[in-house]
Amino acid sequence: MSSDGDPGAGSGDDHDGAGSDRFGGKGEVLRQTLADHAVHIAVIAVFAVYPLLYTWLTGTGIGTELDVVLPRTRTMVAVLYVGLFAISFDFISGYTGYLSFGHALFYGIGAYFVALTVNGKVPFLAETTPLLLMIVLAGLLAAVVALAIGAVSFRLTGVYFAMITLGFAEVGHVFIRNWDYVGSNPRDGIGFFTGVDIGLPDWWLLPGWNVTIGQIVGDEFTNVLGTGIDLSKADVSFYAIGIVVLVCYFLMQRIIHSPYGRVMIAIRENEERARAVGYNTFRYKMGAFAISGFFGAVAGGLFAGYKRSVSPENSFDLFVTADALLAAIIGGFGTLAGPLYGILFQDVLEGILSTDPHGLARYLRENLPSSILEAGLGDATVLEGINVLLDGRAGLYLGIVFILFVLYVPHGILGTLRNRLGGTVAEQLPARLRRYVGRD
Amino acid sequence: MTGALHAALAALEAVPLASIGEILTDLADLETLVGIGLDGLSKFGIYVTIAAGLSLIFGLMGVLNFAHGSLTMLGAYLGGAFMLFFVSSATGDVVTIVFFFCTMALVFAIVTGLGAVLEIGVIRPIYDRPPLFQILLTFGIVLVLDEVVRIVLELEGIQSSTDWQAARGTRPDEILGFHEVFGISIRAIYQFQTIVGILVVVATWWFLTRTRYGLHIRAGSEDGEMAQALGIDVRRSFTVVFGVGAGLAALAGVMLMWDPRYGASVPLGVETLLIAFVVVIIGGLGSFKGTVVAAAIVGLVDALMSWLFVNHVDFAGLPELVMFLVLVLVLVARPQGLYGVEEVGGH
Repeated sequence: MSSDGDPGAGSGDDHDGAGSDRFGGKGEVLRQTLADHAVHIAVIAVFAVYPLLYTWLTGTGIGTELDVVLPRTRTMVAVLYVGLFAISFDFISGYTGYLSFGHALFYGIGAYFVALTVNGKVPFLAETTPLLLMIVLAGLLAAVVALAIGAVSFRLTGVYFAMITLGFAEVGHVFIRNWDYVGSNPRDGIGFFTGVDIGLPDWWLLPGWNVTIGQIVGDEFTNVLGTGIDLSKADVSFYAIGIVVLVCYFLMQRIIHSPYGRVMIAIRENEERARAVGYNTFRYKMGAFAISGFFGAVAGGLFAGYKRSVSPENSFDLFVTADALLAAIIGGFGTLAGPLYGILFQDVLEGILSTDPHGLARYLRENLPSSILEAGLGDATVLEGINVLLDGRAGLYLGIVFILFVLYVPHGILGTLRNRLGGTVAEQLPARLRRYVGRD
Repeated sequence: MTGALHAALAALEAVPLASIGEILTDLADLETLVGIGLDGLSKFGIYVTIAAGLSLIFGLMGVLNFAHGSLTMLGAYLGGAFMLFFVSSATGDVVTIVFFFCTMALVFAIVTGLGAVLEIGVIRPIYDRPPLFQILLTFGIVLVLDEVVRIVLELEGIQSSTDWQAARGTRPDEILGFHEVFGISIRAIYQFQTIVGILVVVATWWFLTRTRYGLHIRAGSEDGEMAQALGIDVRRSFTVVFGVGAGLAALAGVMLMWDPRYGASVPLGVETLLIAFVVVIIGGLGSFKGTVVAAAIVGLVDALMSWLFVNHVDFAGLPELVMFLVLVLVLVARPQGLYGVEEVGGH
């Protein structure tokens, strides 16, 4: 958005310049790398211990209360794959400034590719194809689709680009809703009963590490490696999907920090100047769109693999793109990692306000004394207020938060944080901490 | 693109090539042509009413109003509520139609007011931001508006995801039911929609070309700064235009509440929003004339494709699919739309 949208640009270069004398020995390199990635490692660690933490916290004295606020592991799995989708959306929209309003198309391609393969409806692919292979193939398919759409759409800019991509996505949406190859009633989508294998297949040199993931049907382990830790089905899916999402995130981050990514930002800031400097901006935009489409489909594939059921409404729909858009704005547009936090915020809110047994509405109904529940003004009681204003009303509050963010926090959570710190959090936070502690 | 290609292929598979001749023979029949033409006119009426407000708002303000569909949905529910209030089973058909126009006027007034409030409250602060933010903000309004409507419906015990049958039941079927015209049985409600659509076009045209505000609007969209320099309060015109655009969206809702193919429901918002986008973009963002022409084209294409689906092609999504393909083709051939000016709204 603004010119200070990614202050990492300048500091990244300084860093490279200073590298030659800083990296003295091998140990030094390792130490420096660890220091550079301290924040990444911390975030990954928090995610990694979360399922265990959740089990432990909800078992304590205030467990019921914490259960209302904390997302369950099952929800966290959704945070991961929808987060990846939002990140892929941010990759093209936040960095090149071209709003991909039909991004759900790629998510849908990934989801349907996996669902159709497992049902044996994709030619040349066995039903037992490992999920990793499926999502890579789905991603490549989506990348090709992105190139075809991009070839047409990148002749347009601004609102027109957003609209033509939306148009293409709607073509896909209408098509998938009526394509009877999917099943006898394509509007209901397609599902499957078995879990899918994620992991490296047992081919040639590959080691064949494998687990089965999937809601309700995946693997579970008790007493892992004799540590006394039990991993539930949701935990196993969480870790397996988490690793894929992590790899995808670092791949995209690598691209953003490469000269290629710098050109993408140049396109966002001033495309004409980037062209005048000599970059073939069309090719860069096409490449970025294809990469973004690839990861969007990977996210969709993970979603289908875990949920085991896809329908036009939860894959190709405009509101799927809207989820990514909301996450990107709340988390920080053009920050790559931000959308993940945006989705986390969104899902935590949805969890609290959900109609499920662990939701706030149910909790209040069961735990407030009836004198409070029945108190009220005139006809309206507190109980009715809870039912109407809290039970399953996440959309309302999310909409309000979203509007407030657009109006008052346009850079989102992570973007604002970066502006405050004067660089990416990963770079600036350790430096600040060191200054605090007094070393360096 | 592959999706589109696949779809085209699927459609082709469903139509064996030999039958194209058959389709043409079937088409070369007066009754069929009149039927398709009438259907097309009815769809024109709906589409132009849905899209007029969107076109107006974009034309002056350069704001692509994502909340347009939700305002249509709101209009449908408000219209239904007023009609249920006015009409009982004893009410005569002609009186019902008079009430219907009263309802239209009332709903238009209410939602115009709401639109003006929205413009002053949340949209005005972001005019100097990139156009992206206006899309985002109006999208936020969609989320809030939809949820508020759902809350009210739940309190009233009305299903939000399916059509509101009670409101549709106020339709006077003596007048707007099936009639024989030229030997074809048609639903008069569709011709009624054509008339409403034409009335909306005429009224908007009159507003734009014959009133002082219309003059300000056209001046403001031509060159906002110059208009301001000449003493026109562009800010106030913005408020008026946003209000009127929202009101027009709600009018479309009132009309669709009676329609057997649409009806008042919360998903109506997205459904009409997408149609409105297609029509406005094909016509050229910011050109009212373009919107009218595009509504006619899309209406006719839709009617033709609906006929094809019923008679020859086994693919239920055909009309919608072709509509979006027309959008894509127009954007490829003429990125600014049929009558659009390339630089409108500063994009």
